[in-house]
Amino acid sequence: MQYFTQLVISGLAIGAIYGLIAMGFAVIYKSTGLVNFAQGEMTMIVAYIAWTISTTVSGNLLVVTIAAIIAAVVLGLVVERLVMRPMLGEPLFATVMVTIGLAVILRSSINFIWDAYPHGLDVGFGRDIVRVGTIGVRTGQIAVIATLLVLLAAIWAFFRYSKFGVAMRAVAADDRTALLMGISAPRVHAAAWAASSVIAGIAGVFFAISYDLSPAMFQLGLKAFPATILGGLDAVLGSGVGGLLIGITENLAGGYFGSGMKEVAGFLMIIVVLMIRPFGIFGDRDIERV
Amino acid sequence: MRTGDYKQTYGELVALVDSPPVWLWSVVLVLALIGAPYALNAYALSFVTIILITVVGALGLNILTGYTGLISLGHVGFLVTGAYAYAILVSKYQMHPLVGFLGAGVVPALASLIVGAPSLRLKGLYLAITTLAFSFIINTVILEARTLTNGARGIAVQRPELFGISFDSDVAFTWLCLGFAIATLFATLNIRRSRVGRAFVAIRDNDTAARVMGINLHAYKLLAFVTSAFITGISGALYGIYLSFVSVEGFPFLLSIEALAILIVGGLGSALGAVLGTVLIVLLPEATRLVFSLFSAQMDALFSTGAQELKSMLYGLAIILFLRFQPRGLVGVWHDLRRTWVHWPLRY
Repeated sequence: MQYFTQLVISGLAIGAIYGLIAMGFAVIYKSTGLVNFAQGEMTMIVAYIAWTISTTVSGNLLVVTIAAIIAAVVLGLVVERLVMRPMLGEPLFATVMVTIGLAVILRSSINFIWDAYPHGLDVGFGRDIVRVGTIGVRTGQIAVIATLLVLLAAIWAFFRYSKFGVAMRAVAADDRTALLMGISAPRVHAAAWAASSVIAGIAGVFFAISYDLSPAMFQLGLKAFPATILGGLDAVLGSGVGGLLIGITENLAGGYFGSGMKEVAGFLMIIVVLMIRPFGIFGDRDIERV
Repeated sequence: MRTGDYKQTYGELVALVDSPPVWLWSVVLVLALIGAPYALNAYALSFVTIILITVVGALGLNILTGYTGLISLGHVGFLVTGAYAYAILVSKYQMHPLVGFLGAGVVPALASLIVGAPSLRLKGLYLAITTLAFSFIINTVILEARTLTNGARGIAVQRPELFGISFDSDVAFTWLCLGFAIATLFATLNIRRSRVGRAFVAIRDNDTAARVMGINLHAYKLLAFVTSAFITGISGALYGIYLSFVSVEGFPFLLSIEALAILIVGGLGSALGAVLGTVLIVLLPEATRLVFSLFSAQMDALFSTGAQELKSMLYGLAIILFLRFQPRGLVGVWHDLRRTWVHWPLRY
């Protein structure tokens, strides 16, 4: 039972990171209708920028956080303006392939800009172990779960009450009608890319704090796919919850069936979910079937 | 003066080539490729071999993504299954290499039935994600099935001997690959101009309309998967033989991206495009290295240390730039050139 609880708690911690990245997927899908295959790479870049700041400028938690958020916003806006906006109105296949091209470019740029060795992001926080009953948990892991919950609430409120959130939902529902109502679709897309980049970047920084930075970090994006498929590609909150579920599943599979199972548990789940309920648990858009 | 393409019978419309000179030049190209191993040094020859092997795989993906319009991000899964099927049959159980090649086609084809099944319900992005998941699952399956695949240690593969001819030397192996490439090219061209190929293209262009016209979507989508996986698997077997060692690390996920980059750069849905795209994508890293090494030796050093990263960066750039500025690919450029050449000085 102790082993089981330990697995569930560490599963929740890694699941919260998947959940954040999956929310990044969903924010972009919800407002632009495409899957950003470069999400994991953007996560990694933001984490590396945060690491550079922590080693060169200051290791203060607040400084690193603010700098990482600014870097993430800039990254999201630059990608949207330079790469995605010219593809507006092109077929889905072309735009999705562009994000894949972007993914491989960002992924390999790590080795040119930084290096291939793993690094720890030290901000004087996150690696201490707190005892909850008989189970040891890192403070960073608690913080990431808390952040996920706070962001879930904030995003729910944003889409429900703020004017811009409603505009984003309108563009997602029907971009032509939204344009006729005076909503600027490019601006909504830009905001979605920036927001998605920030959410994913937070996940990257937390991952770097609790574990390590390495050029293989982009695989977090692949691990977050099952989360967003499970939660529903168009459900931002659902994706967050999906991340927690995938994190737990993956850890339990790894704990009881070996590490090979841990690697593929999420992917097996994708196939099962897509066969049974392709729009996910919380998604509401029905997929066209022929 | 040639003023246009006038096709008056159905036979002319589905003919393999529309003008006799194409035959002539194709024969010249094949003869040049047969003679190439004697004229080229070992380094250049390795590029010819890689291009020929990659052409087979690209033509395989072209049937699925180019003709039928089903995006696959996990084609490396079929490559690795084909390579392992060949290695297990020939190296482990000492079967005849022809049986090995047959197995290299059949095993991925069977696997594709499992991957293809969700495609009957899913479209576009969702299918892409399913195939992506498949390519990761298959790697784990291979690593776990140690008794059959030796797990992470991989299997060593010998160059085969077929019909009394040993393909041990690099020259002979290039000819073997050339044979496979030509056979695959004819196979895909013939599929494209048959009833099956037209059904594939109809599904790509509008699946609802295709169904109304009486095309069985389930059967044809699965057929596209099976054909594509069969061809890709054989390409995987050839690649495994070329590396003389089959392991999961020999088939990185980047190969899936490379295959899609080839189709996009060449021009989707065209066999000629797949060939042109392969030549460009395979030679692109080498060409870039040559150009940069002219400028400085420092660049040359950078290229040798970060070769893999540089390769993926170039593939990514090629994908983005072609989709942005030349969505029809190299085959589009070729058609424009040919039209200008025929009609010059007139515009059209």
